[in-house]
Amino acid sequence: MEQGVAASAVTPDEWALYKDKFLDPAGRIIDNANGGISHSEGQGYGLLLSYLAGNRGDFDRIWAFTRTEMMVRDDGLVAWKWDPAAKPHISDTNNASDGDLLIAYGLALAGEAWHRPDLTQSANGMAASLAAGSLETVGDLVLLKPGNSGFASGDRADGPVVNPSYWVFEALPVLAELAPAGPWNELADNGRALLVRAMKIGPSNLPPDWVSLKAEPAVADGFPQEFSYNALRIPLYLVRAGIHDRDLLAPFMSQMLDDQGRVRVVDIATGQTRQLLADSGYRIIPALVSCVLDGKPLAGDLQSFLPTDYYPSTLQLLALAYARRHHPECL
Amino acid sequence: MKPTVFIAAGTALLGAVVLHQGGYFSSPVTLPNAAQTGDTQSPQDGYSKPIAVAQNGKTDAAPDGERSPPAASSRKVDETALRYFASKGDTKRLNAEIARLKALYPDWTPPDNPLAVRQQGDPQLDQMWKLYSAGKLAELRKAIADRQTAEANWQPPADLLERLAVAEAREQLVNASNLKQYDAVIRVGSTNPSLLTCGDVDVLWRVAEAFANTKREDRAKDAYLYILNNCKKPEERYATVQKALPLLSRQNLDLLLATEQKTPDGKGEFAALRGDIARQSVANADADPKLSIPDIDIATVEGLAKEGGLASDDLLLGWYYVRRDKPQVAETWFRKARDKENTAKSSQGLALALINQNRPAEAEDILHQWRDTDDDTRKVYLAAVANLLAVTPPPPLTPDVLQRMVQEVYAAKDSASAQQLGWYADALNQPQTAAQWFKLALDWKPDDEPSAYGLALTRWKIGDKAGVKDIQTAWAGRSERIPTVGERSIETAALGKRKTGKAAPVDTSEEDAPVQRRPANQDEASQDEPSQAKASQDGTAAPRAGKAGRTRQVVRGCSTTIDPASLSPEAALSRGWCLMQVNRPVEAAAAFEVALRGSGKTRTDAAYGQSLAYLRAGLTDRAAVAASQAPLDSDRSIEIRTALLETQANTAFDQGRYTETILSLDERARIAPERTGLMVLRGYAYLKLRRFADAEQVFRAAAATGNHDALRGLNDVKAARQSNFQ
Repeated sequence: MEQGVAASAVTPDEWALYKDKFLDPAGRIIDNANGGISHSEGQGYGLLLSYLAGNRGDFDRIWAFTRTEMMVRDDGLVAWKWDPAAKPHISDTNNASDGDLLIAYGLALAGEAWHRPDLTQSANGMAASLAAGSLETVGDLVLLKPGNSGFASGDRADGPVVNPSYWVFEALPVLAELAPAGPWNELADNGRALLVRAMKIGPSNLPPDWVSLKAEPAVADGFPQEFSYNALRIPLYLVRAGIHDRDLLAPFMSQMLDDQGRVRVVDIATGQTRQLLADSGYRIIPALVSCVLDGKPLAGDLQSFLPTDYYPSTLQLLALAYARRHHPECL
Repeated sequence: MKPTVFIAAGTALLGAVVLHQGGYFSSPVTLPNAAQTGDTQSPQDGYSKPIAVAQNGKTDAAPDGERSPPAASSRKVDETALRYFASKGDTKRLNAEIARLKALYPDWTPPDNPLAVRQQGDPQLDQMWKLYSAGKLAELRKAIADRQTAEANWQPPADLLERLAVAEAREQLVNASNLKQYDAVIRVGSTNPSLLTCGDVDVLWRVAEAFANTKREDRAKDAYLYILNNCKKPEERYATVQKALPLLSRQNLDLLLATEQKTPDGKGEFAALRGDIARQSVANADADPKLSIPDIDIATVEGLAKEGGLASDDLLLGWYYVRRDKPQVAETWFRKARDKENTAKSSQGLALALINQNRPAEAEDILHQWRDTDDDTRKVYLAAVANLLAVTPPPPLTPDVLQRMVQEVYAAKDSASAQQLGWYADALNQPQTAAQWFKLALDWKPDDEPSAYGLALTRWKIGDKAGVKDIQTAWAGRSERIPTVGERSIETAALGKRKTGKAAPVDTSEEDAPVQRRPANQDEASQDEPSQAKASQDGTAAPRAGKAGRTRQVVRGCSTTIDPASLSPEAALSRGWCLMQVNRPVEAAAAFEVALRGSGKTRTDAAYGQSLAYLRAGLTDRAAVAASQAPLDSDRSIEIRTALLETQANTAFDQGRYTETILSLDERARIAPERTGLMVLRGYAYLKLRRFADAEQVFRAAAATGNHDALRGLNDVKAARQSNFQ
């Protein structure tokens, strides 16, 4: 667990570069590849990264924006999307549970490390709301709904639909300690079980972004039927959570890259490559897995941070922060 | 983001009341005593702390809050804001801040020259205040946190933190309110009581709206009342009542209006709203026909409508009256609205008013262009169509109108209108077309008995016996009259034997329909003796309404003459039936009259019996009256009505009113099959009207059953045609 002072797991330079490109002074993280919108996922990552960079000022302002502009739902969770070009800026009040998890996680970490009972209290409230409205029991599994509305068994023809990459595994034990009444440990275990089953759907052994659990796990309707932008962060989450299970991680190590070290977007049904991603922020993920499992150090270009797009830049900093803290030999 | 520094200024300037922490929204959520400000207790809200004037509410976050005017000497007054505003030359805010501090710290005196201490100024803090004034709250958070990190001993001023928290809470509340997240609004409001002041009426409005929209109208009323009892700005007071208008019941609204103050020119401050209040009242009554509203409201809106010329006012009144069964008055108002502007809504209302006055042709004409507007308009249009087609005699419809009605009926798959088109075609002697329409109606609404009946009937008319059988099988047990279509009349068979003075043969191949009803119990003696038949030229009797002939019952107990008034209603009823059996209908009617004094079944049987008696006696009008004395079940009702109409047809024919004959027969045919005998009557009526083609068609159809009178009728038509040419 990431506890205690972050001690610049993200360096000041890295943070300066990141926030220069992706943090608006008003406290919102800008998804530059997505129309410049902000979302609860970005706010969550922003809180986490600013915490890891030890920057309280930026943490506070990201939290301020999140609270005043996006935390406006009746249940206290965060509306998932804020659009500068729209009036009002929020057009869909549904939440995204991974964003809520990340935000609650960041608040819990900072609240403890910086002795900020207000942050801890807010984290607690979010945990309670998540437990009350964002979980669904399917068979004997407690699962995370991607959003409170629209994904459950009764909400769509192929429901329940889940997104395995929404399980922010490192956050769950933190929430378990913060709000022990919630089923966080069970959720973590079930998430792993789900992942194992999802990886068996197609020949590539990689999980799809979106999974329908109406019957046997299958790819959900209406989404690209791929291992893609969502699912590629799963191994990063597993590693950061200290889950270094070789059996679970091996397929990611072997299947995510092509022979030139680019990350593959994979068609689940056929196992074929649909797209190749060259950004350091993506390539660092299987590299990190290799390092953690087999001691292979990260290539030089993966270690230097130059912000590109919000998403891969975020992933790269999270990977570097982990290596810096727990596996300095990788760097 | 709005400039937030006004809050504190406003608080002081308006002498607003800021409520004590824990006082405003203690749980369960309550509002303070809605009485005037002061130091009074408000025990009825369970709210025990006195309301202090011009006091800064403290949020939960600030630990160093003070509750009542402190001992001035022991605390250093925070003058940073003061000096900041002074340095900016912001006199307005400076004065407001001075007023605020004086209210908080009565022993404090403002510095003679606020600028004088500028050197000790804290530029960083100034910068923070600047951010605050500019509404850059997130950046202010960063500035504060950064400085705390850099300077371990620096404490941000409590005042600044407080205001920041309140400003953030306001942002959050407003955003949630804009997204209609009402629970969030109430939650944020209740955890930040210092938001709820006259300096922030917009917040109070939003909180009130949130209460109103979450079924807590009383809390909403309390919030609005708080504003009116404490806040002074005229435009805000006016707007408060305006906002409350659509959200509160009239009762609660009146409580708000009771706080009305007089303006300098002596009028009430809400005078201009009275019109809107009346309008809202009428609008509520439009939505709920059971709601009764004060007459003055209607009168007010009528006055406004007459003077002001707003179509919307005319519409309000139109809907009010049409929903309360005053279609004539409604029509006037809808026409006014429509004359000003022809819209779907005004046309729909007008059409409804016209339909309810039995003027469906006009309704159809008016609403046709708007029929596609929405489901409601379409419904009204189709109602106009159905009513128009049901008019007797069948109204002449231009091909255009008929065409467009037909199109709409098809498009909407409206069963009721299709059925009416069936009857319409049938009335124009187009049974083939009629059958098609009845079939469609049945397709669209398979459980519609009248359509099934119409289909059976018209199939029988065009000779589709198999088709008739299909319907009868499908509807066995679900309809009294469908099985009787095309059936032999047992009664007529019996009639033939008993006819007096007429030598008409009883044609057992006749296809006559008996009366629909079978007696419910054996006490109702069957009637098998028609009186003088008012027949057409042939000998076939048009029997009075009676029951299907059965074995004659033994006559008992009424051969003597007694005054039925001496009998109990039940006994009178029995006597009435007995008298009917022996064909003494006038006496029977008198007996039934006594039986009408009974209740329940006795009474309904008596009504039925009496109408039969009058029919038998030839007193048709009295028969109709008798039938209305008590509710009859649908079978009996049909029986009586068909009998009445039949009598009407016969009477009309005898008196030479042939068109009326046709009309009566048409009406009867909608509720009971037309026996061959009646078809012959119809044929002769057409003949008299010189409608040779129609006469021929009817006689031909009747003759197909072998009816001799029909054959004779055909000859008569031929003869009449020939005589035309001579």
